[in-house]
Amino acid sequence: MSVPTDLGAAVGVAFWGLAVVAVAAGVAVFRVDSMARATYALAVSFVAVGAALLLVGLDYVGLVVVLMMVMEMAVMGVYMVMLMGMNPALMPMSMVHSGRRAAVLAAGTFVVLAAGALLVPWPERRGAPAPDTVAALGTALMESTMLVMLVVSPVMVATIVAGVALAVPRGRYDRLGDDLRRRPADDPQPGGVGR
Amino acid sequence: MAEAAVETAAAPWALLAAVLLGALALGAACLDGVLAACAEGVPARVGLRAPVARTAALLRQRRRTTVAADGLLQRAGGGGLVVAALLMVAVVPLGGHALADLPAGVVWFNAMDVLVWALVWLAGWGGDSALALVGGYRFLAQALAYELPLMFALTAPAVAAGSLRVADVAAAQDGLWHVVWMPVAFAVYCAGVVAFSVQGPFAPPAGLDLAGGVLTEASGADRLLLQAGRYALLAAGAAFAVPLFLGGGAGPLLPGWAWVLLKAGLLLAALVVLRRRVPAVRPDRFLEAGWLVLLPAVLLQLLVVAVVVVGRG
Amino acid sequence: MGLSLDRLALGGTRVLVAEAPGARVVRAAVERAALGRGWGLASSPAQAGVLVVCGAPQQRLQEAVDRVWDQLPGPRARVGVLVPQDAAPALERAAGHLADRAEQRRDADARGAGPGAGGEEGDDGGHGDDGDMSDMGMAPAGVPLAGGDEDRDGLEMDVLQVPLGPVLPAWPAGLVLRCALHGDVVASAEVEVLAGSGPGGGSAASRAADGAARLLALAGWDDAAAAARRARDALLDGDDARAGHVLEGLRRRVARSRALRWQLRGLGRLDGAALAEHGLPGRLGGDVHDRLLALLDAAAGDPRYTGEGDPDSAAAADAAAADAAVVAALPALVAGLDLAAARLVVASLDPEPVPERRVARG
Repeated sequence: MSVPTDLGAAVGVAFWGLAVVAVAAGVAVFRVDSMARATYALAVSFVAVGAALLLVGLDYVGLVVVLMMVMEMAVMGVYMVMLMGMNPALMPMSMVHSGRRAAVLAAGTFVVLAAGALLVPWPERRGAPAPDTVAALGTALMESTMLVMLVVSPVMVATIVAGVALAVPRGRYDRLGDDLRRRPADDPQPGGVGR
Repeated sequence: MAEAAVETAAAPWALLAAVLLGALALGAACLDGVLAACAEGVPARVGLRAPVARTAALLRQRRRTTVAADGLLQRAGGGGLVVAALLMVAVVPLGGHALADLPAGVVWFNAMDVLVWALVWLAGWGGDSALALVGGYRFLAQALAYELPLMFALTAPAVAAGSLRVADVAAAQDGLWHVVWMPVAFAVYCAGVVAFSVQGPFAPPAGLDLAGGVLTEASGADRLLLQAGRYALLAAGAAFAVPLFLGGGAGPLLPGWAWVLLKAGLLLAALVVLRRRVPAVRPDRFLEAGWLVLLPAVLLQLLVVAVVVVGRG
Repeated sequence: MGLSLDRLALGGTRVLVAEAPGARVVRAAVERAALGRGWGLASSPAQAGVLVVCGAPQQRLQEAVDRVWDQLPGPRARVGVLVPQDAAPALERAAGHLADRAEQRRDADARGAGPGAGGEEGDDGGHGDDGDMSDMGMAPAGVPLAGGDEDRDGLEMDVLQVPLGPVLPAWPAGLVLRCALHGDVVASAEVEVLAGSGPGGGSAASRAADGAARLLALAGWDDAAAAARRARDALLDGDDARAGHVLEGLRRRVARSRALRWQLRGLGRLDGAALAEHGLPGRLGGDVHDRLLALLDAAAGDPRYTGEGDPDSAAAADAAAADAAVVAALPALVAGLDLAAARLVVASLDPEPVPERRVARG
């Protein structure tokens, strides 16, 4: 734990406060009137979750949640606005469709999960948290699951590159000619390193 | 690696940290004013006074709204920059004390500088004005080019120290500062700091060609917060470079806290002077350069650092 | 206490300059006087406390200036300057208006609390037709949704109709470029010149120095832009020796700057065929970087620049024809560029707009 124990009560209050913020911001995602507000309500929700993780002593994980999610939401906001054509900042809109079915599904899922949480006989804790959670996490990532990481990363990067290549109509033959020998490349706007 | 001793300062000291950050930021703004005055050929004292006079003028100016603006998002973006800068300096040890001694302090700084992505875009979006919106998008394009190199530049000192704790990174430079043997990482870090402060060569998101970009529609206190936030971010970035690259509080004669402030002030002054000497970098040209030049360069730097660390055993 | 704060705040005033065609010399004097007082130049109405109208705008330009005036938040003051000698006294008058609390309070009370009195989107165009009217009637707060179109890369994009000018920093006087933007890429543009008049005058060299100052300011190099402005002011004072000295150092710095070349290289390149097609003079050949160096050479008295401000000479007629050709060619030259590049290209051509009828889309 990175927080002194005499702050126990304050930490408890802060944790529940953050939990309320996370849920309220999550609700706001579906209630607000603009794509930008929906996107950043989701970002606020994730930041609250990240801060709650900091409070339970998972420093690295909590900070990475904040870092990655804010970055992702900033980029996602661009796509949301681009695909939904929302120019006036506050355009009345709805983020939901098929309301009744969605409500039934959501309520059902909640009941199942809550029942599971309350009825399953949870085992007693046998281990103890590592003294340095950051180092423990690093060890876990770089030793036992290293192979998984080494496989997943290139696959993900390849997916991103392939997705962009498929989405953009212009390819290298448009840029460099049919024999790929045209120099400089024919770009609508040249880049910074003169490729 | 020995644990560096850092005491967590009591909460009221946060006020002092805010005052020090504000003083650094104001000093940078005054220095910039003097340099601008010298370039224009007007008396230097006019430039020295300019930030204070400008602050007074903005406090006196009325707040102006645009049609169909999203005031909530606009103000959240504008006011957030100062907050992000304050949170950045919370993990910088001043002498033997830090406001927050986090085991992953370096990642904390990184998370705060990513907040700027959201804040600048929101400031541009909220005004519902075409030029401000273009400014916001411009910043995101620029951020995609500077953020990854900046992340690896932050990683290099942490790898060398074998810890993400800021105090450990500072203590690991006993006898040899990181800036000496990882200059590329330091240069990329400084460029990243100037970029997330939307200043100098990385100012096109607030550029003259967009009539002020993300600042176009901001008036009065809103504008003051945005401008103060830019300088505060620059100051916070300079302050964080001290434990990361410049040996922390190490130095002769003076106490540790004084050395931290002195080094931060000197680096900040250097950044203010240097960024005036270069023209703006257009985001469309910088994107390719960031990915094809800066990123490989800083990765090579990281490789060198990693090899040295393994070699030292 | 309040009064001394007011005095302090007065020192931080920003000046927004609205320029009528032919009032370049007046604007130069206003910029010089403002900077001399320690006042900065505003880049947008939201920032400004003082609106200075240079020259005499005619009806449509006057309307645009009035709309910009509505966008100043206040405390605010508006002054007109017709001749360069009046620049400093006019700013002194403006300072008096700003310091007059009672007057500012009356002005604030007379205005509504809402955004710009015109009820339009507050961009710097000072023009009413934002948004694409062809779209169906979804228009919160009177701002219609943007239409869609295929962009440069074949992706569906929103189209925004954004006018550049006539009141915009580092922008030719009276010029309006109505751009259809895909994101920040200018898909197409039409050009119009709003009429107005100024005292004219100013040598070709001072005009070139002014053009170089604008281009350097747009390139984000404030110190170099300040040097070019100093050279311009020296030329207007008739102090050629000092201007030559400043320009020599500036030309060296600009030519040596690799960062600047990296930014301007290959932008808006005009070869012989393009020059002939649009009827442009040979000095505008090359890219933006070449044209910047040409402007600096012209400021230093290079004979390639002709057409002194003598309306009777054939050279002046040539210069006017060249300016008209540049303005007519602008839509074709900026189509497909992003806003930053388009601004740099326009500034590098540095036309002195001559009022005429609208020309077709490029």
